[in-house]
Amino acid sequence: MFEKSLYDLIRGLRNHKGTEKEYIQNCLKECRSEIRNQDMDVKATALLKLIYLEMVGHDMSWASFHVLEVMSSPKYHQKRVGYLGAVQSFRPDTEVLMLATNLLKKDLSATPATTISLPIAALPHIITPSLALSVLADLLPRLSHSHPAIRKKTIVTLYRLALVYPETLRAAWPKIKERLMDKNEDPSVTAAIVNVVVELGWRRPNDFLPLAPRLFELLVDSGNNWMAIKLIKLFATLTPLEPRLVRKLLPPLTDLIRTTPAMSLLYECINGIIQGGILGEGEDFSAREEIASLCVSKLRGMISINSDPNLKYVALLAFNRIVVTHPFLVAQQEDVILECIDSEDISIRIKALDLVQGMVSSDNLVSIVSRLMRQLKASSASSDQQNGLPRPDPETDSSDEASAGQTGRSKSQEHAPPLPEDYTVDVIGRILYMCSHDNYTSLSDFDWYIDVLTQLVRIAPVPRARYFDSEFPAPVPKYLATDISEKIGNEIRNMAVKVKAMRPAAVQAAELVITRLFRLNSESASSHLVVSGALKPIAWIAGEYAFQLSSPDDTLGHLLQLLPWIENPEILATCLQAIIKLFSFISGDDRAQWTAERKSSMSLLMARVIHVLEPLALHPYLEVQERGVEFTELLKLTAEAASGQAPSIDALEQDPPLLLTQAIPSLFNGWELKSVALGAQKNVPMPEGLDLDEPIHSNLSALLAQADSLMLSAQDEDEFEAYYNQKAPVTAIASNEPAINRLAEAPEEVSGSYQQAGEESYLDADIIARRKAERAERNRDDPFYILESGRSRGTSTPIHNILQKENGPDLDIDSIPIMKLDLETVSTSIGSRGASASSRQQPPSFPSSKPRQRAMVAADETLGGSGPSTPRGYDSENNSDSFAKARAKKLKQSLLQVDSSHLGHLSLDASGQASDELAYDPEKQQRDEAEMAQAMKEVQRLRLEMQRANERIQVAQGVPAEGVIVKKKKAKPKKAKVEGEGESAGGLVVTKVKKKKAVEGEGSGGVAVGDPVKAKKKKAKRIVQLADGTGAVDNL
Amino acid sequence: MINAFLVFNGQGQPRLTKFYTQLDTSIQQRLISEIFTLVSNRPQGSCNFLPLPPLLAASGTSQSASEPHNDVPSLVTYRHYATLYFIIISTSTESPLALIDLIQVYVESLDRLFENVCELDLIFNFETLHAALGEMIVGGVVIETNLERIVSGVRAQGTVAKRPVNEGRGAGLGSGLGMGGNFVWHGR
Repeated sequence: MFEKSLYDLIRGLRNHKGTEKEYIQNCLKECRSEIRNQDMDVKATALLKLIYLEMVGHDMSWASFHVLEVMSSPKYHQKRVGYLGAVQSFRPDTEVLMLATNLLKKDLSATPATTISLPIAALPHIITPSLALSVLADLLPRLSHSHPAIRKKTIVTLYRLALVYPETLRAAWPKIKERLMDKNEDPSVTAAIVNVVVELGWRRPNDFLPLAPRLFELLVDSGNNWMAIKLIKLFATLTPLEPRLVRKLLPPLTDLIRTTPAMSLLYECINGIIQGGILGEGEDFSAREEIASLCVSKLRGMISINSDPNLKYVALLAFNRIVVTHPFLVAQQEDVILECIDSEDISIRIKALDLVQGMVSSDNLVSIVSRLMRQLKASSASSDQQNGLPRPDPETDSSDEASAGQTGRSKSQEHAPPLPEDYTVDVIGRILYMCSHDNYTSLSDFDWYIDVLTQLVRIAPVPRARYFDSEFPAPVPKYLATDISEKIGNEIRNMAVKVKAMRPAAVQAAELVITRLFRLNSESASSHLVVSGALKPIAWIAGEYAFQLSSPDDTLGHLLQLLPWIENPEILATCLQAIIKLFSFISGDDRAQWTAERKSSMSLLMARVIHVLEPLALHPYLEVQERGVEFTELLKLTAEAASGQAPSIDALEQDPPLLLTQAIPSLFNGWELKSVALGAQKNVPMPEGLDLDEPIHSNLSALLAQADSLMLSAQDEDEFEAYYNQKAPVTAIASNEPAINRLAEAPEEVSGSYQQAGEESYLDADIIARRKAERAERNRDDPFYILESGRSRGTSTPIHNILQKENGPDLDIDSIPIMKLDLETVSTSIGSRGASASSRQQPPSFPSSKPRQRAMVAADETLGGSGPSTPRGYDSENNSDSFAKARAKKLKQSLLQVDSSHLGHLSLDASGQASDELAYDPEKQQRDEAEMAQAMKEVQRLRLEMQRANERIQVAQGVPAEGVIVKKKKAKPKKAKVEGEGESAGGLVVTKVKKKKAVEGEGSGGVAVGDPVKAKKKKAKRIVQLADGTGAVDNL
Repeated sequence: MINAFLVFNGQGQPRLTKFYTQLDTSIQQRLISEIFTLVSNRPQGSCNFLPLPPLLAASGTSQSASEPHNDVPSLVTYRHYATLYFIIISTSTESPLALIDLIQVYVESLDRLFENVCELDLIFNFETLHAALGEMIVGGVVIETNLERIVSGVRAQGTVAKRPVNEGRGAGLGSGLGMGGNFVWHGR
């Protein structure tokens, strides 16, 4: 058979355009047979092909044993292929790794430098704790290899060993340090050591402080920019521990900043100064001031230079670090940073966003969010056009405004490519966070916020995965799993619940969203599924605050039409509830007469609702099914009652059926719903003297029998209410609220300062139109607005109108609650309420210079003295979400991450426990070395034995599996021992055991067990065991 | 440290993949395709850094910037040469600007090894690519940045194969990777 070479494979691949898959499958088949060939050349070639195919994405884990075979080839070029195969294809669970140990050890002690570097370079990819333990002894001597290339690779490999097996450092660090201190060492080796020290440095900076003088010397003298960059990074982690370093470092750093032509070095100098905490505090104030302004001005220069986007990016990275410690320095650069938000480059945008998120305050919130909104709007408009979707702009008939918006939009469309979906989601998430964080402290204009939210619902990307997938639990990409539009909806709901003054606006917004969803659904030719998660909270609002809807009938109609297109069961369940609430509001008027007209319209409506709900009785999701069945039955019953009730004729007046006017509304009319702090439930105190085991009443059954005929007395209810709900103070405030709101509201010019930001550019025309109308409306009715314009109160009819409307005609004008409008009273009443109902009030010091609309944000309800359980309870849900996520993240390790956390626990430099085995004692060291030499000899001998045994195994190739098993058995006790040692950290017992073993193994009494020897000894012991193991194989 | 070094062409076909942690082949491929989508949509004149691909961002710490964690890959640097993209994924202990240079050094060393390198050389000699990378980075740590030493290190391992004669340059892949052109930081 003629075998393909790699060259043939690739050429074949290029010649089979279109049928690559087939071709590759054929090749894989060939490789499978070729790799079993006895001829090593054929085997190696097949492996090389497999490695190539692995790169393209074809798993080769099945070939791991063959990889091992090729690795053991005596020819270098084949061995190289084998090692490459191991590096590319071995995974943590590759079992043949156990068999590789001896091969690795053998190659580590080979003569040609090229052969030695193969295992050294491969080890970092395949290392495990047990492998580290066994190869350490062979690796350490390579630190003093004559070839610098071997030395530097060894150093790095030792570092990777230390990551999985921290004890490595104990043995290796003194030697590495020796290399570092050696001034005659090859500069590239020194650079490699510095790189390793940087990796170690941030974990355990204390250990590297003693090296500072040498490192400083390297920084000043070496002239190697690569190394200087790393050194500066290292010093940045050291300076916080040793403030004296700062004085030493400042001159050379300043020098570098001023003179270096290398931009990367300049940047790292600045970065190092920032990270090392060299800015700011300290005694030499003027020098620091100077360097701080030098750094910041350089960074600013990097951002504002138009030519190089890389500099922009890294400067933002640096600012992101500064902002943690020196927010004021960054705040000064707000202008240039905000420019970056509009950059075409998404990397730069995201970094700028990170930064901006931390800088948000009530002063710049509106302008920042406006920028972001403009971006989102522009991109969503262009993507809509691309998808050929109908423009979500139903009310463009309001002429000039719409056309103005149109031109603005079309202009931005030209150079606004559709943003990637996850970026859009990210930005929306950030907008919500910025506005809502800390219980809306930065937000001053809630009307504006509602408008933004309404716009966001339109912009938000919908999870497309669900469009076509009719299967029930649709597999959605991770970042879409929590639908962003639901979060937006949640914010609108939070507004409605928490900010009473904004409730009407929020309800209107909800109405608008429902209407739009309905339109989109009915306009498009083929009705598609409604997927917007926003519908869930939005429908809830519509149901809960039905009385504030401008047209409940229409909303109910829209919801009914949307219902069959809703797929997500949770949304469906909420919508069901909302529909019934709406229905009860529409039909439950008990004062209106039961006319024939009403009767027929009611029965029609009920028939319609039943028609929609009935199919849901078969819904697979239980919650939906339950509600569907319940409401259908209830309505059927009501419909019967309604049809039985004769309508009132002129003479005879008939009441509407009680089921309609009393029973159904009473299902939903309770106390007002409020947001409750997370964990508040836990704070309900256990009433004193409550014994849950005690019988409630000695004669319970009689009492229960009695209770059947008992009605709750009204008084009981009041007491209960007063105790639980603290309703009195709340309502007192509530009745005030709108008025306060109007009083405190700034005149239009002031609160409208953000008008320059041009809302038209990011809000849809209909939203703006509505807003204008609202404003006009508000100002017309606003008595204080009129007062300001100089009219006397007595003659102003509007006030009278309002009073008549709200309080009835009998009310005396003088009793206008002016005293209650006094802000002080309000704040004290908030205070008194805050003491009982909330543990947190609005922050006492508002930026009072700027008059702002003061809408009261109700804090989440909780119980007094509930400190511990409500540390973040006030933030909106997304925050608690993100907290949970962050925690989950911490638990879950990142992809690609190399965990170095073990390193932190190891103590180097003979501090602590190993104090009596000081590595600095030269005499002891000599003794240790002698001992080690002896041990090494023994190891050598055993290795030979081992090798022979191994060869025997390889000859008997039919039984590799057995070999694996035997080794596994041996491996277990070893691991246990290692662990035990880790725990007792060199405790007495372990050392003793080791000594004994050493005595057994060598037949000569070890005098003292030195620190570096430990590893050797372990090694020796292990060989003994392994030799036993192979002996066992022989016996088999 | 450096977590991964990738090379792929303008169609997203990998030419070199090196992960310094062990990763399943399927996940490797997903990561490559995610990065390719990011990298191929860059507008003209954007910077050489990519936002984290979803696969890394999901498990990484893109949000919790408050607590810097140096173990987590946080930086994706790329460079575009003719038909090829060179990618480095790294943690925050690496200097971003230096990584750009590192890619340049790698490409220059390939150019030295192959004499006017082009994509075809990389396709047919991916073993040499690995060898050259192995002289620069071991276990995710940079060990050499000197062009001469890298080239001699690779040559010491055996002769570098030339591209097959009959394949030639006319294969429409453009000549050379056109490096040395766009920009190099001064002072290196």
